[in-house]
Amino acid sequence: MSKNIINGKTLQMLREKIESGLLPQWVLSDPDMYELELEKIFGRTWQFLAHESELPEPGCFVTRWIVNDPVLVTKTKSGEIKAFLNSCTHRGTHLCAADYGKQKSFTCPYHGWTFNLEGKLIGVALGDKVYGEEMKKEEWDLRPIPKIGVYQGMIFGNLDPDAMPLEDYLGNMKWYFDILLARSDGGMEVKGVPQRWVVQANWKVTSENFEADPYHVQMTHRSAKELGIAPKDPFFPGYGHQVVLENGHGINVITADATGRSPFPFQGMPESMWPMFERNLTSEQLELMRNAIVFVGGVFPNLGFISFSAPPLEGETNIYNYLNFRVWRPLGPDKVEVWSWFTIDKAAPEEYKEKSYLSYLGTFGPSGILEQDDAEIWARIAQASGGLMARDKELSYNNVLNYLMGLDRVEPDETFPGPGVAYPICFLDAVSRNMHKYWLELLIKDHSIAEGVYR
Amino acid sequence: MNPELQFDITNFLHHEAYLLDHRRYKEWLDLLADDLVYRMPARITTEGKHNEPNIMNEMTFFEETKKSLITRVKRLDTPSAWAEYSGPRQRHFISNIYIESSPKSGEYQVRSYFLYQRCRGSDLDIEQLHGERVDVLRKENGKWKIASRTIYPDQTVLRLINLSMFL
Ligand code: FES
Ligand SMILES: [Fe+2]
Repeated sequence: MSKNIINGKTLQMLREKIESGLLPQWVLSDPDMYELELEKIFGRTWQFLAHESELPEPGCFVTRWIVNDPVLVTKTKSGEIKAFLNSCTHRGTHLCAADYGKQKSFTCPYHGWTFNLEGKLIGVALGDKVYGEEMKKEEWDLRPIPKIGVYQGMIFGNLDPDAMPLEDYLGNMKWYFDILLARSDGGMEVKGVPQRWVVQANWKVTSENFEADPYHVQMTHRSAKELGIAPKDPFFPGYGHQVVLENGHGINVITADATGRSPFPFQGMPESMWPMFERNLTSEQLELMRNAIVFVGGVFPNLGFISFSAPPLEGETNIYNYLNFRVWRPLGPDKVEVWSWFTIDKAAPEEYKEKSYLSYLGTFGPSGILEQDDAEIWARIAQASGGLMARDKELSYNNVLNYLMGLDRVEPDETFPGPGVAYPICFLDAVSRNMHKYWLELLIKDHSIAEGVYR
Repeated sequence: MNPELQFDITNFLHHEAYLLDHRRYKEWLDLLADDLVYRMPARITTEGKHNEPNIMNEMTFFEETKKSLITRVKRLDTPSAWAEYSGPRQRHFISNIYIESSPKSGEYQVRSYFLYQRCRGSDLDIEQLHGERVDVLRKENGKWKIASRTIYPDQTVLRLINLSMFL
């Protein structure tokens, strides 16, 4: 047997390493691991599909992907959100190829079967003339995505019919999502379409970068400091709290300095909006929002988000807040299609929204000066992880990566007002370790390691 | 069409491409009018007729002014703009230059096609982007300036690690 098969022993070894704050590098590049993840992770977790504001009226639809499953998300006549495999039930043709639109039905270009917004097969070309009793139309509706859930406008789908409800899966992340998504009357709105581009990277690396790694900022984004856009303090953005949440989720609530007080309350949102925040949030949530300067985190496995405030690149000193969501859609062990949504409070003044958008374009998205340098680093990890030494599953070359920061040393801060296990520092690998733990838990779920060969 | 003008503008755009490819960004900035509008809307896939433009003006990849482009150029001068590590080799192939409108207050609308290719570091892959640009050019003190540029990419999903270049 090849020493490179993933078996019970391999997973046992992974568990031991992860528990001691180490991650074998081969998991970033191994094709077998990738296949296993598609099934065990992406086939079972809640996947972000769209924001409700992308489907403003009945008849609206967007097309998305859960890794390799094309998904058609629709808003029905009655205003309900539905999602289907975007594949005709006759011969499997990709049914709707548009990114988004508004229409009453979808007609397949192969033989002309037509489905409505509810996924019902409503028309079969030449039906009566070519089909007899062998065809019961009602049995050939579009195949629904087994589970759909919506939280604060965020639409998720799950390919696992036995998955826990979305709200349970999000768990305490909901409390933080409420700050980001429900602070304003009417919630958030997506501008236009998500930006999409492809980066040579492993999806775990990109996920981790947002969910768990403020430590990289001081070096990766040094040019922002050199330009005078980011704080000069080398410890920035280590201040604040890194919060470990259930099911592999995590968030960093970053403050400007050790005082925990913000020089620009509510991330620089206009003062006219503050009373609205007070109305919509609890006093604990409000306090956090007033003092944090960045919220950055992720919903396991591959939804990242950042609530950031920046000046537009024009030299203006005012900062503008925005909320950026992204899905890291895996395209292979070393390839990710990035989907990046710009969202802003629906209730923000129009002029402010426009400036926020410019701040987003200057910092994140493929032309953003912060994002540009992130992608370069992610690609370098992929480049360096494909060889025999990095990929050796027996670890004979000590090919393990370091996740030791704060291990068994930094204690949770019991006074933190939010739920989850909150550590009083953001330069920490607690959320990363939590992600790896949950990742492994899903990989070995429904499998007895003692069985030996894994699959 | 005035062949002299066609030659003049073609020459100008070729010179601009040369400055960009050779990373002479400060000289490039001099070609931009102070009131420059520089943007790159997203390309989308839509249901419908083949001759509809399928451009999303609401979402762009660039939305720049001369000032913001100056900031971007400044960043490249810092020692830690990792995305531009060692200066990717890049070529702007500019073709199909067509002057679309006669002067209104001395401005010309000029359409051109672009093929942008680059190699980063010692990567074996070549990244590329192609599409169309619509410029507004004007003469200021006897020199051509770009008053606005809209870049229409052909790709919906960009096969580029970043947009650290200027197009
Ligand atoms: S495959 Fe869709 S109608 Fe035949
Ligand atoms: Fe980053």
